[in-house]
Amino acid sequence: MLARLTQTKALHWLGRQLLNRDDPAAWLDPLAGAINPMWVQEYTPARVERIMAETAGTKTFVLKPASRWTGFEAGQHVNICTEIDGIRRTRTFSLSSSPELWHKQGLITLTIKRLPGGLVTNWLHDSLSEGDILGLADAFGEFLVPQPAKPVLFIAGGSGITPVLSQLETMAASHYPAPVTLLYFVRTGNDIIGREKLEAIAARYPGLTLNIIATHEGKEPRFLCDADLEAIDGLKEREAYLCGPKGLMDLATELLQQRGLAESQMHSTFFAPPAPAALDNDQLGGEVSFTRSSVDVGSEGDANLLEIAEAAGLKPRYGCRMGICHQCSCRKTSGTVVNRLTGKVSGPGEESVQLCVSVPRGPVQIDV
Amino acid sequence: MKKLSEEQLNGLQQDLDAIRDEVLADLGERDATYIRKIIRLHRTLEVGGRVMMPFGFIPPVFVAATASLGIAKILENMEIGHNVMHGQYDWMNDPALNSQTYEWDTVCTSESWRQTHNYEHHTYTNIIGKDRDYGYAVLRLGDDVKWHPGHLLQFVNYILLTVLFQWGVGVHELESEKIRRGELRWRDKLPFLKDFARKGGRQAFKDYVFFPLLTLPVAPIVLAGNVGANLIRNIWASTVIFCGHFTQDAETFTEEECEGESKGHWYLRQLSGSSNFTGGKWLHVLSGHLSYQVEHHVFPDLPAHRYPEISAKVQEVCKKYDIPYNTGSFAKQYGTVLSRIARFSLPDAVRTRLEQRGSGQLQAI
Repeated sequence: MLARLTQTKALHWLGRQLLNRDDPAAWLDPLAGAINPMWVQEYTPARVERIMAETAGTKTFVLKPASRWTGFEAGQHVNICTEIDGIRRTRTFSLSSSPELWHKQGLITLTIKRLPGGLVTNWLHDSLSEGDILGLADAFGEFLVPQPAKPVLFIAGGSGITPVLSQLETMAASHYPAPVTLLYFVRTGNDIIGREKLEAIAARYPGLTLNIIATHEGKEPRFLCDADLEAIDGLKEREAYLCGPKGLMDLATELLQQRGLAESQMHSTFFAPPAPAALDNDQLGGEVSFTRSSVDVGSEGDANLLEIAEAAGLKPRYGCRMGICHQCSCRKTSGTVVNRLTGKVSGPGEESVQLCVSVPRGPVQIDV
Repeated sequence: MKKLSEEQLNGLQQDLDAIRDEVLADLGERDATYIRKIIRLHRTLEVGGRVMMPFGFIPPVFVAATASLGIAKILENMEIGHNVMHGQYDWMNDPALNSQTYEWDTVCTSESWRQTHNYEHHTYTNIIGKDRDYGYAVLRLGDDVKWHPGHLLQFVNYILLTVLFQWGVGVHELESEKIRRGELRWRDKLPFLKDFARKGGRQAFKDYVFFPLLTLPVAPIVLAGNVGANLIRNIWASTVIFCGHFTQDAETFTEEECEGESKGHWYLRQLSGSSNFTGGKWLHVLSGHLSYQVEHHVFPDLPAHRYPEISAKVQEVCKKYDIPYNTGSFAKQYGTVLSRIARFSLPDAVRTRLEQRGSGQLQAI
């Protein structure tokens, strides 16, 4: 109801005048959210309904988004937001359920693997409980089931199966009229994510050819090879969907190209690896992209972002130039910087940084 | 100002930096929970005040509504807005609490506040000629300004500034004294004036047009209550803020002595130019922890509710370098502010004679 109110342009304008913010409906969140967390307007809340263990390091989180969530198409991913120790963290995960579950029951699932050293995935596994609230953004992504139907080949590895699970459910439910083959690579039989679901889909949907390969169960590792592709009917006419660790994706791309598939037939969705281990502290400098001004410039040594911007002819706002007044605070969209005042190294993601005391360490993107 | 050697200044910097780093490393859920709690309190007080206001034809309800709305505005301006805009909560990554985008419930635009307060006032604190907050260009608070007979009536300026404080702060960036002196033209300030008119207009519309008209039959009561709430905030904010740098022992500085200042010297100037006042927990919260002006000026971007926790450590550092730590009861500190305003209303000769006679009497005893 509040959502409908907020969508009226006139009321929205009035709200902005009265409450001094671009999202006036969120002004009441501290009170509304205290009564019912699902009434929050600042973001789209989703309640954790159930948490299920899939494998040793993977869990499926069943979420109930607020009804105003705009839904998704099979294969897409979504940014979720959660607060860990006072700080809001955003991460992207593929939706592993089909849109039908959302339409019929208002539920979605995220199947998330614990990443070694990963802040958010470990927190989700260890600290998230039923009844907790996550922030959900709009779904996005181009990793979609072909319309109209074409023969499909899925090559997935490890947790890369998650968007494929969504797509296979959807294809099975709609009796997808073209052949579908899945080559699913896991380390061992214990690492198969969604095994029951895959077997159930294979059982009721004859169009699916399911091939699960354990890479590290035999004496020698057994990776994707040309012979796996040889067995597939009409490979050259298929749309290939790749999702998994970088090694598998690169290998699959190479083999498919050798088999004559065009680039337009290959669709990939990347799961970013966890942040690299701490680099040498002397590795300061890097390529800095000032994205709003479309200026790219390299830097060496401990030049701070404000100096780098000014040397490149930009004039960002500044104040004391010594890290106190925050006038030069800007959005870093990606990359790592070192705060010269505190010596602290930033995270690799999106956060606010003070230009005058931030030194790039590797490539950095700034919204200036 | 206490003269410290370069070595001592470096030591001072290291000692204070260490306190700051310790707090920064500890920031987390406790601070997020605190600011969210204060925001929830603000929403409750504002909603409560505005809902009660139309029933203000019943006198006790009018008092409760006006007080509730006034305290809501005080909390929002001082404990929430001022602190959020200092970047104290930027680390939370919450877009609603970002220092560069937060817009507060007063006629001053947050853009102008960040420029004149975060940058100018905090960088040039108490430097005569550079810190325009010293006297706000309408009060003579030191002998750097040449006395003229008009100053005898400067208490009128003080009362006007206090009663209309949100407008005074809002228009502070205009630098009207420089326009009067011909150093700036009105034309140079046009962009600022446009922003000021827009925000001032929105705030006036909200409190003096929209809410009164919303409950038309009792419009005059709602109008009176809203005026009252803004007045409460103006008087309280002005009083607290004046206690920060205009008390008797708060020092001022010349531009020359601060040229090429080291970080240690900046710390020393912040310590010497600021003054605290003591009181209960709610006095501190309602002052936006500006009761810890010394700690605030040394660490403007640490969450203000942390200042009471580090105050003992800061006092230790002051003792180590023999730097006076300026504090006293609220009444005493404010008394010295009023005394300063009164004394500098007088011609220098009269003032110095009074001061000598005052100290002479003390010596005689």
